[in-house]
Amino acid sequence: MTEGRALLLAAGLHLLLLLGLSLGLANHIPRFDSEPDVTPVEFLDIADMAQVTKPPEPSMEAAPREAGPPAPADTIAPVPPVPAPPLPPEPQVKADDMAPQDAIAEEVKKAPPPRAAPQKAKPKQDFDAGSMAALIDKSKPDAPVKPKDTSQFAKTIEQALPRQSRLSPIQAATLEQAIRAQIAPCWNPPIGGADVAGMTAVLRIRLNRDGTVAAPPEFVSQTGASAGNQAYARAFVETARRAVLRCAPLELPDDLYSYWREFELNFDPRLMT
Amino acid sequence: MTRLTFALLGLVPLMALSAPAAAQLRIDITSGTEQPMPIAVPAFPTAAVVATPAGTTADLGRQVADVISANLSGTGLFKPINRDAFPAPSVADVPSPQFGGFRTAAAQALATGTVTANPDGTLTIGCYLYDVFSEEQLLRQGFTVTPAGWRRAAHKCSDLVYSRLTGESGYFDSRIVYVAESGPKTKRVKRLAVMDQDGANHRFLTSGQSLVLMPRFSPASETLSYMSFSGDQPRVWIYSLGTGRQEAVGAFDSMSFAGRFSPDGRTLVFSVTRSGNSDIYAYDIASKTTRRLTSGNSIDTSPSFSPDGRRIVFESDRGGAQQLYVMNADGSNAQRISFGDGRAGSPVWSPRGDLIAFTRMQGSKFRIAVIKPDGSGERLLTDSWQDESPSWSPNGRVILFGRTERNGRSSLRSIDLTGRNDRRIPTPLEASDPSWGPLLK
Repeated sequence: MTEGRALLLAAGLHLLLLLGLSLGLANHIPRFDSEPDVTPVEFLDIADMAQVTKPPEPSMEAAPREAGPPAPADTIAPVPPVPAPPLPPEPQVKADDMAPQDAIAEEVKKAPPPRAAPQKAKPKQDFDAGSMAALIDKSKPDAPVKPKDTSQFAKTIEQALPRQSRLSPIQAATLEQAIRAQIAPCWNPPIGGADVAGMTAVLRIRLNRDGTVAAPPEFVSQTGASAGNQAYARAFVETARRAVLRCAPLELPDDLYSYWREFELNFDPRLMT
Repeated sequence: MTRLTFALLGLVPLMALSAPAAAQLRIDITSGTEQPMPIAVPAFPTAAVVATPAGTTADLGRQVADVISANLSGTGLFKPINRDAFPAPSVADVPSPQFGGFRTAAAQALATGTVTANPDGTLTIGCYLYDVFSEEQLLRQGFTVTPAGWRRAAHKCSDLVYSRLTGESGYFDSRIVYVAESGPKTKRVKRLAVMDQDGANHRFLTSGQSLVLMPRFSPASETLSYMSFSGDQPRVWIYSLGTGRQEAVGAFDSMSFAGRFSPDGRTLVFSVTRSGNSDIYAYDIASKTTRRLTSGNSIDTSPSFSPDGRRIVFESDRGGAQQLYVMNADGSNAQRISFGDGRAGSPVWSPRGDLIAFTRMQGSKFRIAVIKPDGSGERLLTDSWQDESPSWSPNGRVILFGRTERNGRSSLRSIDLTGRNDRRIPTPLEASDPSWGPLLK
């Protein structure tokens, strides 16, 4: 390898460094960490009624309760805040879980070849230093291209590189499709509500390598909530959370685990009635 | 060369440091399923089987669960799961259920509770709701009732479950008034009848000797207005369900009809007809004073207040054909809001405020429709022969209406405002002109 080519390669890697930095920065936007405000449901006082029957009186006297002090009779225990997400436990990879799911396989068929969806695929294609060198070399068409020369070196770099710098747009789209295809059928949004049109909720999802949920889905943010619709806003977030828990374990490409170990879902029913 | 290679390799750990976390994926989920939510409603267990005037506590536990299942199922938003699909919980399970069996049965929520006979002869019905996946307790409430009042406790529990899971207020602990019809077409007997929203506890309010029409519940109290042909003049009456007391509204020398209460129940608006011209009046129930709101040669009728009491929607033929107009509560600034094909009548403002339900008339076909108060977003909800007289559930989610088939038979039906779940409300006789009352206090 000539010094000139090595310099070119160095230039390319610097570009990658800049890319990695910019991606890293995008991740540091501050987020809301708290639950949406919850409105305790008030119990209706049932006053005396003229005809039918004697009205029921709210009472917890004889209702069985769990150990510990009873909740106040006129409030309902609010949804407990989501605990700080624990680190994902050691991945438990089961061979059976690795089989590509039909939905993914479908996507794989549609997408162009450099596919990473099938879990067994070698990650080598993701970063081909040879072709990269070829790209760089375009600026010097006279230089003879010998991609093989750099392959061993490229492999070394590739193994050391953080995986996140390697997700191609096609892979990203495929992964998004696979997640969407598995979550959407499990989501039962509260349609028909007065405020459903403008309401969305973002949850952060953390998954184990086997696709199971590593931590309860974490509330990130919500739009469309107001002082007047808090019960509805809470129910909306809960439908989103339920969709994730209900659909787990998700079946996603194992070799892309670093991308789907943690991601965000924006639940937005605008395309529904 | 080697120097450079080492320099390059030296970059690698630096790069690893520079991107500490994966660039996070953010995925939009823009569609979901509209399937009803599967919910488990096991028979409510009892600690000790005790006989009560309404049956044993074990029987009541089953019946309470049946009522809750029927209420939830009737919304079209929930699908109660067959009770054989999961193990029946014991009293000890109710506060801390074993969720595995319910997850296996594909339930997403568990509504359960207990029935306990108290020494003083009352019952306590406990009501619990759990999220089967997160295993969170979503609500817990008890109701003490007389044994005969067990249905109301079941409705209250249904309302809590519905409200907690949908974020909307409930509507199960409420009643419906309507016109029960019997006899041949030429000698039709029409009586006022009232029943629970699920058809239970049905009873007649009038004998049928005089013709009654257009009963309307007050949104604020156990009071009705209706039109009766008894006496010298067809006119609007107010009837208190609690006391049975009736009073005629105002003193007009001509027919008054189409009465409807203001949201606070203190004012009644209605029409008075004089020589083919109808105008809208407001009657203050406490002071018994009447104020005229519209004038002119047109037929103005069917007034209905907005839930904030500041505006009134009504129908008028002032533009040529029968259409909907919205005016201020003092009668000023009337604006036409309906423009579509055909005529539009019998508007009623949703208690939620966001929509007005009305009857869209195209030829001989009458359909239930909704429109926003500014006149936009008109949607037809039903498509039968003659659907008319819409009335909102107390939470503004469901519309009750009367349907007449081509064979002349009439019945009550309800439909979700999304246009789904068109279902019949059971009545012992033929039925028309329903009005949904407020949640019971």
